[in-house]
Amino acid sequence: MLKNTILLTLTALVLTTGCTVTEPVSKLQAYNGLYTEKPVSLLIMPPINRSTNVEAKEYFHTTLNVPIANAGYYVIPPFLSMDILKRESAYDAELFLDAPLAKFGEVFGADMALFTLIHKWDKSSIGATVTVDVEYIIKSIHTNEVLFKRRGQVTYDTSMNLGGSGLVGALANMAASAINTAVTKYVDVARACNSYTLSDLPAGTYSPTFLQDSIQNAGKDVFKVTIKK
Amino acid sequence: MALLLLAALGSCAPQVLPLYTWGSYEQDSYNYLHKANEESIQNLLLAYQEVIENQEGSRETTPPGICADYGFLLLQLDRVAEGKAMLEKEIELYPESKVFVDRILKLIE
Repeated sequence: MLKNTILLTLTALVLTTGCTVTEPVSKLQAYNGLYTEKPVSLLIMPPINRSTNVEAKEYFHTTLNVPIANAGYYVIPPFLSMDILKRESAYDAELFLDAPLAKFGEVFGADMALFTLIHKWDKSSIGATVTVDVEYIIKSIHTNEVLFKRRGQVTYDTSMNLGGSGLVGALANMAASAINTAVTKYVDVARACNSYTLSDLPAGTYSPTFLQDSIQNAGKDVFKVTIKK
Repeated sequence: MALLLLAALGSCAPQVLPLYTWGSYEQDSYNYLHKANEESIQNLLLAYQEVIENQEGSRETTPPGICADYGFLLLQLDRVAEGKAMLEKEIELYPESKVFVDRILKLIE
C-alpha cells in the first residue's frame, strides 16, 4: 500500500512537472549557425518600425551597436553604413528581410545582417510604463540562414515609489510617475530591450569566452519580461 | 576587521568588465541623429574622443566602428585630414573593416 502511494505520488510529480518544464535548449542547439560559421562582422539594418511611434526607429538604430560590440563582434560603423544605405536606397530593410543578402557582403564586408522589427511601442495611459514588442533576427549574409532570432514583449516600468500611504501617498506617487515618464529618455527603453534580448547572443571573436558558451542554456526565443528602471 | 574581511572577499570575486566602455555615446548619438544641431554635433565629437581616449573596457582598445564614424563626422565638418586618419585607424584596429572603409576612402579622394 505504502509502496503504491509512493509510486502514485512520484507519477503525479512527474506528470505535473512534465507539463511545466520545457526542455532546456543549449546555445549550440539554438544558435548553431553562429558556432559553425563563426561570423565576425555584423551590419545593422535600419530597424523596421511597425509601431505607431514614429521615433521608435531612431531609438533602436542608435543603441544596437553597443550590446553587439560588447558581445565580441565587429559592428560595421553605424552612422557611416546608415548613410550609405540611404544613398543606395536600401533604407527600407523590409525589402531585404526575405531577399538574398550577398550584396551587403560585397559592399560592407559583413558576415551577418541584423534586422530589428518593432511590432509595438505602447505607453500606458497613466504613463508609468512603456511596453515594446520587438523582434531581433540575425541572418547570415553568406547563406541567408537565420543565426539568431528572439522576440520579446518588454515592459519598461518607470514608476516610482515615494512611500506614504493612503490617498495622499497614492496621488503623490501617481504625479511622480507621470513626471518621471515625461522626462524618461526613450533611448533607455530601447537600450533595455536590446541589452536584455541580445544578452543571449553567443560570444563573438573578440570575447574571451568565444566558443566557450555552447553548453549554456539559451533563453526563450519568445518571452515576456518587465524591466524596472 | 569585518570591513577588512569584506574588502578581501570583494577583491576575490572576479570582476566582469565589459569589453568596452561607451560613456555618453548612446545618448549623444541619438541626440545627433534626432537634432543634428551644433550642440549635438559638438557633444558627439566629445563622446567619440572620450570613448577613444578614456577606454576602460577589458580589451583596452577602441570599440568597433567608433574611429570610422568619428572620421565620418570629421569629414562632414570639412576636417578632411583628421577624418581620413580616423578611417585609416579603423582599418588598422579592425582589418575586417577594410572592404567597407576603403570604399569610403576612395569616395573622398
